[in-house]
Amino acid sequence: MKNFVLMLVFVWGSSLALGDVLIKDARLVKDNGETGDVRDLHIKDGRIVEIGVNLKGTEETVIFDAMERAVTAGLIDSATTIGLAEVSGLGVSYDGEVSGDDMAAGFQVALALNPASTLIPLASNDGITRGIVVPEPGDSNFAGQSASVRFVQGRNFLQREDNGLHLYLRERDRRYAGGSRARALSLAVDALEEAGRFDRQREAFDSNELRPFAIGLDDLETLLRVRSGAMPLVVHVDRAADIRNVVDAFTAFPDLRLILAGAAEAWKVTERLLAHDIPVLINGLDNLPQNFDRLGARLDQAYLLSSAGVRFALMSGSPYSEFRSLTQAAGVAVANGLAWEQALLAITAVPAEIWGLEGLGKIDRGAKADLVIWSGDPLEVSSAPIAVMVDGEWVNLETRQDRLAKRYLEVLNLETKD
Amino acid sequence: MKQLLIKKVILLLMLSSWVGEVLGDYESTYQAKAHKSFIIENAVIDVGEGQGPFLGWIAVSEGRIQALGSSNESKPEVAERLDASGLWLTPGIIDVHSHLGDYPSPSYRAHSDGNEATSPVTAEVWAEHSVWPQDPQFPLALAGGVTALQILPGSANLFGGRSVVLKNVWSRTVQGMKFPGAPYGLKMACGENPKRVYGSKSQSPATRMGNFAGYRKAWIDAQEYQKKWQRYERSLNEYVAWESTKSGSDYKTRPSPPKRNLQMETLVGVLEGEILVHNHCYRADEMAQIIDLSQEFNYQVTAFHHAVEAYKIGDLLAVNNVCAAMWADWWQFKLESFDGVKSNVPMVHAAGACAIVHSDSATGIQRLNQEAAKALAAGQRLGLSLSDSDALTWLTRNAAKALGILDQTGTLATGKMADLVLWSHPPMSVYARAQMVFIDGVKQFDREKGIGPVTDFELGQREEIF
Repeated sequence: MKNFVLMLVFVWGSSLALGDVLIKDARLVKDNGETGDVRDLHIKDGRIVEIGVNLKGTEETVIFDAMERAVTAGLIDSATTIGLAEVSGLGVSYDGEVSGDDMAAGFQVALALNPASTLIPLASNDGITRGIVVPEPGDSNFAGQSASVRFVQGRNFLQREDNGLHLYLRERDRRYAGGSRARALSLAVDALEEAGRFDRQREAFDSNELRPFAIGLDDLETLLRVRSGAMPLVVHVDRAADIRNVVDAFTAFPDLRLILAGAAEAWKVTERLLAHDIPVLINGLDNLPQNFDRLGARLDQAYLLSSAGVRFALMSGSPYSEFRSLTQAAGVAVANGLAWEQALLAITAVPAEIWGLEGLGKIDRGAKADLVIWSGDPLEVSSAPIAVMVDGEWVNLETRQDRLAKRYLEVLNLETKD
Repeated sequence: MKQLLIKKVILLLMLSSWVGEVLGDYESTYQAKAHKSFIIENAVIDVGEGQGPFLGWIAVSEGRIQALGSSNESKPEVAERLDASGLWLTPGIIDVHSHLGDYPSPSYRAHSDGNEATSPVTAEVWAEHSVWPQDPQFPLALAGGVTALQILPGSANLFGGRSVVLKNVWSRTVQGMKFPGAPYGLKMACGENPKRVYGSKSQSPATRMGNFAGYRKAWIDAQEYQKKWQRYERSLNEYVAWESTKSGSDYKTRPSPPKRNLQMETLVGVLEGEILVHNHCYRADEMAQIIDLSQEFNYQVTAFHHAVEAYKIGDLLAVNNVCAAMWADWWQFKLESFDGVKSNVPMVHAAGACAIVHSDSATGIQRLNQEAAKALAAGQRLGLSLSDSDALTWLTRNAAKALGILDQTGTLATGKMADLVLWSHPPMSVYARAQMVFIDGVKQFDREKGIGPVTDFELGQREEIF
């Protein structure tokens, strides 16, 4: 094991300089975690340039032997707070929500992100290479814009600052609209219409011939980008009736790209979702009827959505830990009926497609080289990545937690196999 | 029944040196339904002692484990046979840290009864008076193989109140779920929570040193209360002795008992060793000081709960015979959990201490086997020598030990309660689901047949969902 770690360090250091790696004998797992074609992957300049058998690199190529272990595309978590807080419960250190505004559409979490966060290698240790850093509502149903990030400490952490506009319409979010969900939804629709009026009268507005809008300028511009489909509208909503209303309200804007998040009762309205091809982000582990909006929450929702043909991605969304892995949610979905391959897609290719992350989520010629080499079945809770690559470069897997554990192995003189 | 209780109380007041044992203990009315003898055959059995599984059978009679053995050992003659080929059999999972019923779903304030956050010392409250037996989270936990669980008050207070141990069965009443004979626990809490709750009200404790002053003051009061009752009992005994003979010249009057104090009854119960201390505590340095506190006042800490830094003091826990009940991977949600490591549980195990995986969560309780598996794998990656069977003890034997019910359940052994789970896959796999769950030999859950409790709350609005 020690030798292996040393080898990794060597590979990591080298590939940074060269960007030319050949991963030998990667098992491209498909129908389950253990079987699949064994292929060599040639990576150059951050992309997979060739997939084949017995590939030979050049003299510059650094070879990594995957020893027929499972290899998947890097996982994508559609809901994370990594970068927004080192300690999520310390309110003073958390930058993910703004208060005092009844309209926070223009708020972007991107400027608050910490690319040096010690939590980043933890994501890598779960096989996650990309994430969506999501704002929470402070005083407004429109909470702000999520950022998309790549989990590499320090370098090019932020990928996109206007990843999606997040609108919260769950049971408890009614309070931001004076106490009724009816008003919350109609105010949101009004805001989009207001943005349209603003756009049609820009000249008059610029020459001060127009009354001021109730909504700030950056909010209006944000809403316009949502109307035009330049950025998706992500609606966090649970109850079946509300999902129907949300779909009806926002599909009235022809170019708007709607994504549902949470969506505990989405399985009850699959026809409506299919009719408009609306994708859903679900928390695979949360089956509690915590409120009357979530009476239909169930553990086999992924299976039900899959059977109905609705596009969905699994997100981690745990408030208590950034450790909790996406793979566990995917594995639980499999245990509850979802096909293994669909589960893997729900944490790789499907979220890449939903978020428009070009070249990510799949192992293809020309795709970005976000790759994870696993110790076993990637969806098993006992498995872990033994190497992770982002944009063709190996990332650091050693965490602060590893340092702590090793320190106390020594302090307590605990016996290890090494 | 009531008369019986009153008699017991009088008896106790006269004879016992401890007043908290029965007073107010509304007796368990739980009784397993009458059922036949049966035998489960061809299962891969792990008895929960950390020794590895074997292919075998288990015979159940009158709700108890009658016998068990490997496939080549002879079985008792029993008419009812259950072929468990392809299934794995373990003891029922036991969660030592749950708030089902006192923080139920739906989670509205109207039903959230877990924290009596009105005073830092509320040893007088009992969790069982808060538990809502129709919480739909109970059957979800059952589907995860949980057969018994400890319901605790929250951690807002230094002394949060008494816990209650329940059987995970559908019942109209809490009394109908109470684990017969299980000792009570006392919830205590270290660190951020009490000082935050009371510090924000500008009252003590506002600091960790305030926390300790609060513990010590309460234990001093408890010692005084204990002495007052001991004095009373001595004079009562003298009176009873005098009354039977009426000898001697001094006329004696029957002494009147001191006024009961509910708070002190619980604390004295701890000092007398009848009530087990379950102490919410994250940081290693605080746990070490709590151990010193327990020695100052001569009581035993049964288990630290959460114990995110237990891996730093596994040796200390082992020497002092204190269990640590931990999550597999929760951390970072508060500053005192920032040093959480994935190998916490296996490192405590490797140090020779009693390691437990707990949930403190209505979702986590549904997958405690997976939580143990995650911790196991983290330990193995670190190089510790551990098996699946070791990890199972974190959910069964060690949990039962911390609840004082190991003589009744927690491992598969002749004479113990037949609390059993049949799994679809090896229990440490993410794909493993409980196929059948037995409590005292009664099949409470059968996934294939769609048998399982439906709470009153779910009727008419959530029946189709396991």
